[in-house]
Amino acid sequence: MLEVKNLTVRVPGFVLKDITFEVKQGEFFAVIGPTGSGKSLLLESIVGILPENLAQYSGKIVWKGRDITVLPPNRRGFGIVYQESALFPHLSVKENVCYGLRYLKISSAHARERFNLVVERLGIGPLLERFPARLSGGERQRVALARVLMLRPRLILLDEPISALDPLFQDEIRELLQMLHREFGLTFVMVSHNLEDVMHLAQRGVVMHRGSVVQQGRIEDIFERPASTFVARFVGAVNVFPASLEGRRAGVGPLSIKTAGGFSARASGYISIRPEYLVPVLEGHGGSQIENCLEGTITRARQRNFQMEVGLEVQGVRFTALWQKDEALLKRLEVGKIIKFGFSPDHVNVFSDE
Amino acid sequence: MFPQRNRSLFSLWFFVFSLPVLFLLFFPLGRLVTAPSPGSLLLAIKDTEVQLALLRSLLTSLGASFISLIFGTPLAYLLARRNFPGKRLVEGLIDLPIMIPHPVIGIAILGLAARDTVLGDILSQLGVRLLGTYTGIVTVLTFVGLPFFLNTAKAGFEAVPQRLEHVSLSLGAGQWATFFRVTLPLAWRSMVLGMVMCMARALSEFGAVIVVAYHPMLAPVLIYERFTAFGLKYSQPVAVWLIILSVTLFVAMRFLSRPVRDW
Repeated sequence: MLEVKNLTVRVPGFVLKDITFEVKQGEFFAVIGPTGSGKSLLLESIVGILPENLAQYSGKIVWKGRDITVLPPNRRGFGIVYQESALFPHLSVKENVCYGLRYLKISSAHARERFNLVVERLGIGPLLERFPARLSGGERQRVALARVLMLRPRLILLDEPISALDPLFQDEIRELLQMLHREFGLTFVMVSHNLEDVMHLAQRGVVMHRGSVVQQGRIEDIFERPASTFVARFVGAVNVFPASLEGRRAGVGPLSIKTAGGFSARASGYISIRPEYLVPVLEGHGGSQIENCLEGTITRARQRNFQMEVGLEVQGVRFTALWQKDEALLKRLEVGKIIKFGFSPDHVNVFSDE
Repeated sequence: MFPQRNRSLFSLWFFVFSLPVLFLLFFPLGRLVTAPSPGSLLLAIKDTEVQLALLRSLLTSLGASFISLIFGTPLAYLLARRNFPGKRLVEGLIDLPIMIPHPVIGIAILGLAARDTVLGDILSQLGVRLLGTYTGIVTVLTFVGLPFFLNTAKAGFEAVPQRLEHVSLSLGAGQWATFFRVTLPLAWRSMVLGMVMCMARALSEFGAVIVVAYHPMLAPVLIYERFTAFGLKYSQPVAVWLIILSVTLFVAMRFLSRPVRDW
């Protein structure tokens, strides 16, 4: 449906390099990456709002088979919702929501029907006469979404729509987006550096780094099977080690770790393990069947949200684990003490290079 | 952070050094405004020559500010929103009238219509004369006032987040519609302020005007004439009326351009 083919965009001080990916109809697609990786620039290229005199393009943006790379934004029919909502401050909520109506060729009865539906589904009825300055962060995002939904866009682009909101409103907008995706079958492309939002909402996505796409595919795969040390660390698989790989074994320093995949020839590469996949092995809690069972010294133990982040050192190799708080476990978490832990070979991700 | 005594000493120093500046700004004007008796002020305003001079000053400077609005707005917008080769040069040129001695501006404008130049020939064939005409006066007033309009309007356009224009485009509005529905409603206060500043500058212009047109006589030229012919006492009431006119006008315009809504 939306195809970005070898897109290179040059703006002063930054280049988007050779971006290729495809978004299918009805999909919730994520563009993930740290700040400054070019995510927003990519989004603005898709919407078509980069100033002509600033941006130089090569490659193509194709919508349903039609090249739209240089089509003006008002003829693309894509909606965009920014992090800071970008509501028109001089217009009331109602005027904001109806802003684009006059450019649609629909009857006023049809427009009214659509307006009522959008207002009802987004719960903005009581806000209609207010001005944006008098709205909360969550309300502003709902109005920004309503403004875009009024136009029944072919594609909705979201630029960090949740991360600037108070935690209280974050869930509200996340659920709203999920509802819109499910009930209206809309296609979304969301830019985000917030992994929680991405996991919650998106099915597929790309990871960007310094203007390039460094990995793409199903979100689950990106999180479970990062293909480079950068992606591994970015998606929180903080246990990343250079390893010598042979058969179903990875040599990390003095440790020999069982892996699920096999290598016929000896090779060097990397392994990554997500911290939540390291499990403590306590007496009477089973665990003897865990294949990669290690004994490590606790180097740190600190609370992180409702979990414990535990540093473990095994023969000079440092691991980080995230463990649920549990009384039996908490008693054991003393820096300097030795604790058994392990992980399944299925959770060891192997990749070849940077 | 600092001991209380140091802080108050700091403020005292700054306060003491501000006093001469405040004195210089307000004392001469205060003295001028209070110098003429109410009787002489009333007498001055009943004088047809004074009334006409003030009216001419008002209308010509208003004309200059409207010309600045019409022709200055596109340039201010371009400077705020676009990059183009020579942009820095244009920005430098805009501020030039602020720095040039004012009689030089008058001479430069008159040079436009000089007989032996192409432009001069065209203007003369069109019947446009600058020396001693309202056309000449409004031209110099626009020249001196334009930088104030351009800089203020440009700052106004720059203050409108470009994202809002982008959103408008993505909602189906074209560039014209976006300009009139988003940019202009958010920048018009700066434009009014720019017009006020342009007009203020034009109302007070003397050096360039006197080169281009002694007659028809504007208020500053009349003040100068009365000062040289009859002395300080006779020029003061006219000067006070010019000040009253300017202040009234600016207060009214600032009042009109105040924020009235929730944003």
